[in-house]
Amino acid sequence: MTRAIFAGAAVVALAAGGAFAQDLKFPVGEGNFNWDSYKAFDEATNLDGQSLTIFGPWRGEDQALVDSVLAYFTAASGVKVNYSSSEGYEQQIMVDTQAGSPPDIAILPQPGLISELVAKGYVAPLGDETKAWLEENYAAGADWAKLGTYKGKDGTEALYAFPYKADVKSLVWYSPDNFADAGYDVPETMEDLKALTEQIVADGGTPWCIGLGSGGATGWPATDWVEDLMLRTQSPETYDKWVSHEIPFTDPAVIEAINDFGWFAKNNAFVAGGTAAVASTDFRDSPKGLFSSPPQCYMHHQASFIPSFFPEGTVVGEDADFFYFPAYAGKDLGKPVLGAGTLAFITKDGDAARAFIEFLKTPIAHEIWMAQNGFVTPFKGAKTELYGTPALKKQGEMLLDATTFRFDGSDLMPGAVGAGSFWTGMVDFVGGKSAEDAAAQIDAAWPK
Amino acid sequence: MDNIAGSKPALTWAVHISAVLLVALWVFPTLGLLVSSFRTSDQIAGSGWWQALSTQEARMPAIRLKGEEALKDGVFMIEGNLFDASGAEISRWGINSKDVEAFEAGETTALPSGEALTVEADGTYRLSSTQSMADLRMPRVFVTAETPPQFTLDNYDTVLFKPAPGQSVGKAFLNTLTVSIPATIIPILIAAFAAYALAWMEFPGRALLVAAVVGLLVVPLQLALIPLLQFHNAIGIGKGYLGVWLAHTGFGLPLAIYLLRNYMAGLPRDIIENAKVDGATDFQIFTKIILPLSFPALASFAIFQFLWTWNDLLVAMVFLGTTDNEMVLTGTLLNLMGSRGGDWEILSASAFISIAVPLAVFFAMQKYLVRGLLAGSVK
Repeated sequence: MTRAIFAGAAVVALAAGGAFAQDLKFPVGEGNFNWDSYKAFDEATNLDGQSLTIFGPWRGEDQALVDSVLAYFTAASGVKVNYSSSEGYEQQIMVDTQAGSPPDIAILPQPGLISELVAKGYVAPLGDETKAWLEENYAAGADWAKLGTYKGKDGTEALYAFPYKADVKSLVWYSPDNFADAGYDVPETMEDLKALTEQIVADGGTPWCIGLGSGGATGWPATDWVEDLMLRTQSPETYDKWVSHEIPFTDPAVIEAINDFGWFAKNNAFVAGGTAAVASTDFRDSPKGLFSSPPQCYMHHQASFIPSFFPEGTVVGEDADFFYFPAYAGKDLGKPVLGAGTLAFITKDGDAARAFIEFLKTPIAHEIWMAQNGFVTPFKGAKTELYGTPALKKQGEMLLDATTFRFDGSDLMPGAVGAGSFWTGMVDFVGGKSAEDAAAQIDAAWPK
Repeated sequence: MDNIAGSKPALTWAVHISAVLLVALWVFPTLGLLVSSFRTSDQIAGSGWWQALSTQEARMPAIRLKGEEALKDGVFMIEGNLFDASGAEISRWGINSKDVEAFEAGETTALPSGEALTVEADGTYRLSSTQSMADLRMPRVFVTAETPPQFTLDNYDTVLFKPAPGQSVGKAFLNTLTVSIPATIIPILIAAFAAYALAWMEFPGRALLVAAVVGLLVVPLQLALIPLLQFHNAIGIGKGYLGVWLAHTGFGLPLAIYLLRNYMAGLPRDIIENAKVDGATDFQIFTKIILPLSFPALASFAIFQFLWTWNDLLVAMVFLGTTDNEMVLTGTLLNLMGSRGGDWEILSASAFISIAVPLAVFFAMQKYLVRGLLAGSVK
């Protein structure tokens, strides 16, 4: 029977003119995937012989994953895809668009950078239909659509970028075995988390591993902390105002969040190696303290990508697990989720590029990746049971259940702040500066 | 006599000591890179490369027991070894993260859930219980053990034979050769003619031209990247090998002309005048006399230009694309760090592959390199 379906699919694919001798990760028609969406896309699209260049941020293992998704696009549409990436993709895309040799599609994780490209007129708008589609089909869809909406060269706002693939940032990683050995429970509220932190110190342990080191980007993990705490102490509206600089960094609301981070990071007993180690420890090495013998720390706050830096053989869900960075029970702010994600946009308009954006609207484009590794999506049409691991499923559901979703603020701020003074300011803050001084220093770099 | 010659040994010593220091400065990082390229990522994260060469006693991360249970004389047993490779020797071990050195090798302890666990010095363990352990959450064992040096060839295997997409070092090696060989030959061809003209042909404005070439030496090439790429796009070359050859040629020409002109101008005037008296044309003088005599300068510039184009990242990234067929070695090396820059073990192995060619070029032609260094300065 499967054979028949498979053969049928092949015939359909041939009829649509898109059958390529490609290695498809999951045979069409098998498993619980939304194959109908694939077949519908297959029938609607026939662009044989065209080619499409895609420039994205994924390299190494991630590139193998994105290639497996693109193979379906090629098989269905007949478009030959050239995917490439490079370490300095932020600079590369600026050079290529300005010199007039851009890729057809670019995929980037920095909305701030995309808005610069849009403002210079290098990006083609996606249209109101796509915007309506996002609002309807993504969880917290209006927030997502807003993320891809920028002011164009003529000053009018429109949707330019399509969010595809998300990362959940509000996570605390821990070793369930170490928690069991010491008799600790996963905290449900921020008050509990702070009590647990003090409890661990009272028991002679060290609660947190925090590492801000990241070469030229040293300091960015601290911005995630501050953003997460901002969402837990202030309303989402205040967060938006902060990100768009309607309130300055020196506002008491922001100072409070920075000091809240200081409560964790600026206490020698709370952090492995003491406060002095926070800025000098590389963020990639920091989580390894969870697994050392004896454990250097019990908890680590980091986004969903961090398991790739766990020691080899660590099984997420067994040797390591995560819990939601909890909200204050005392403040009625719901369950906010901080995240990041990548956005696809058209830098050279054409039928193949438009078809690719249409492809991203099909559940199959999400399901192929989520069934493997490292992919969560807010797309409600993708089946959550397809997530490759329980950990991914938990993150995906966190995203779908979020009462508030906010994008990483430092990625939304202008580069001089979000990829500059915010990072260095946080390093100075951990190094001993007061929150007020650090905030003033960060604010001074905001472009006038 | 002695006091006159006395200063000489002191100077010789100073030269020798600074030579030794320079060699050490170069050799130690290289050695570290070489040792690291034979280690796994966990080893690199766990200890420095200098520790890899001797036996180390260390507390190892928890190891989770695994294995099939077997029924022997009414007792359920799970047996196995904690280590994949032999050689490590356990001194103490524990089962609780709060007390990781609770037991000596060979001791038996009872797990909280009732099973008995024994760990021997060589890593073999035996877990036994009177009930089936099929549903048991397998315990972790913390060991303090001495491990002999361990090395692996996996990194080189991964890089050369099993590359992830976008990380094919072999292909990038060929791409880099495709870039650097023409990008070395073309500027030499042009520069040799230009240098001869500027050195030996009389025409008005010659001094100004030489001054202009020297002036171009100080213009940073970064300034020209985007306008030049715009120009390439406008005239239809676009991004590709032709574009990158032309760009390298342009960026390399000022130095090439300056270097070769200085060398050629220093050749004996008599030979050239004799040849002119004998009726040789400029072209004959150039091919029959100047070129053979300038071979050291040509070779030394070729080495400079080859090493520069081989190690170049910026020009290749701008004028060439980033697909597999166009990615140069330096770009691939950067990509090998992974999406978030953590794969050091892969990077160190491929870095070694990439420095092989410059090293070979350097050692094969080092006498020209030294002469070339002097060619521009001393006459």
